[in-house]
Amino acid sequence: MNTVIVVNLNGNAFHIEEPGFDLLRTYLDGAQAQLRDNPDKSEIMADLEQAIADKCAHFLRPHKNVLSVAEIESVLKEMGPVQTDGNSASSSGASGEPQSRAAGAKGDPGAARRLYQIREGAMLSGVCTGLAAYLNVDVSIVRIIFVVLALLTRGLWIIAYVAMMLVIPFANTDEEHAAAAGTPFNAQEVIDRAKKHYSQFKNGREWRQHWRQQHREWRRKWHDGAYWWGQNLQRNVQQFGAHTGYFAQLLAGLMIPLLAIVSVVVFCAFVASLVMLTTTGALFGWSLLASMPLWVAILLLCFAYLIIASPLRHARRAIYMQRGAYREWFAVWDGIFSLGIWAVAGWLAYTHVPQVHDFFQHFPENVQTIWNNVAGSLHHAAAQKPPQSGSSPVR
Amino acid sequence: MEPEQKFTTIRKGLLEFLILKIVSADKVYVADMMKRLAETDFATQEGTLYPLLSRMRREQLVDYEWHESDSGPPRKYYKLTAKGKSQLVEFKNYWDYLNTTINQLGR
Repeated sequence: MNTVIVVNLNGNAFHIEEPGFDLLRTYLDGAQAQLRDNPDKSEIMADLEQAIADKCAHFLRPHKNVLSVAEIESVLKEMGPVQTDGNSASSSGASGEPQSRAAGAKGDPGAARRLYQIREGAMLSGVCTGLAAYLNVDVSIVRIIFVVLALLTRGLWIIAYVAMMLVIPFANTDEEHAAAAGTPFNAQEVIDRAKKHYSQFKNGREWRQHWRQQHREWRRKWHDGAYWWGQNLQRNVQQFGAHTGYFAQLLAGLMIPLLAIVSVVVFCAFVASLVMLTTTGALFGWSLLASMPLWVAILLLCFAYLIIASPLRHARRAIYMQRGAYREWFAVWDGIFSLGIWAVAGWLAYTHVPQVHDFFQHFPENVQTIWNNVAGSLHHAAAQKPPQSGSSPVR
Repeated sequence: MEPEQKFTTIRKGLLEFLILKIVSADKVYVADMMKRLAETDFATQEGTLYPLLSRMRREQLVDYEWHESDSGPPRKYYKLTAKGKSQLVEFKNYWDYLNTTINQLGR
């Protein structure tokens, strides 16, 4: 069962399923935007609506009076995208209109652009290159910001990135390449594309709202998961202690240091891998894929660490949060013990691992070396990018 | 740029010429034009055709009149104007000239 919406197409009433209606509205809004400077806009819109109405009428029978999404989709596919020939100034010759339009676009630098993914010079999919063209900044800056965001949001930005990969269209034709760098754009298009897939999002605000909600939901689930993990552990501990509160407390008290040690070991392994990766470009004998840039490897490593480390941390917290009246004591115990482990681990590393000893002896130079490596790889990435072609639509 | 992409660019520029030719033969409405074009490499969709026709009408190359149809709403039948006719002749001459030039150059 689906909600049906009645629409008026150039004087003809049609019953259309709600998702199909959204598709249709997206198409007509897009046509409106394309034709916004056209003096015959209303006439062309009427023609288009009439053509859609004619096509829709083919799907109707005496006992079938509602148009499905699939039918609307096929009608719109048959219609094809609304293109004004003003877009292709390079091919439609020297009629005055396209030129004046191009001049208008240039004379109005505040005009928005189209956001595309640009494959040329892309590292993964072209989101960053497209965004760089859109914002008119160097692609390295965009990439650095993306990496920083990925770290700050603990990897959640990667999901946002994947979403952008799926939602933002690729620049394929010359016009699209030109538009990526400069011609007028309606942000509507990106939203429309998203609307196509999730017809319930009516506008940008709902989009953001939904995104935030989703984010909160994920976080909650993540916490619940970790909490459940800890609780389960604790239940096992209790059963083991044969319901004697004393043993349960004792075991919880033992689990905390155990988990703390594991956490420290995991962190040390993470730092060691990070150092190994930046200095030698290889990880435990597994060298990087030639096509994978260093910063991607670092990002993956950070992500892997977070995946392993945060359940551990949540489990520890869950254990002492469950201890009721004693929770402060357990928290303090956990804190002190962790610090102790850190101190011991640090001391052991300093005295027994020559590299660590050297590292701290030459701390400033080492930081410099690592930074140079990272910056070098970023710079290398930027150098692969083809030279900027300006805003000329002809290539 | 792939060869196919280059041909697309050429075809785009020639579409106007083809429409002038189609309209010159007979009074036609858009579905007719599309049917004629669909048989060729110049297959076009309404989304492209309506804006193009409206511009050609603005440039006074074509004009249309409403005709009742037996099956459905009245239709716009397009016909060539005097200016359209002279432009078609110009187009045609230029096309022949281009053909000769291309054939004569090189091998």
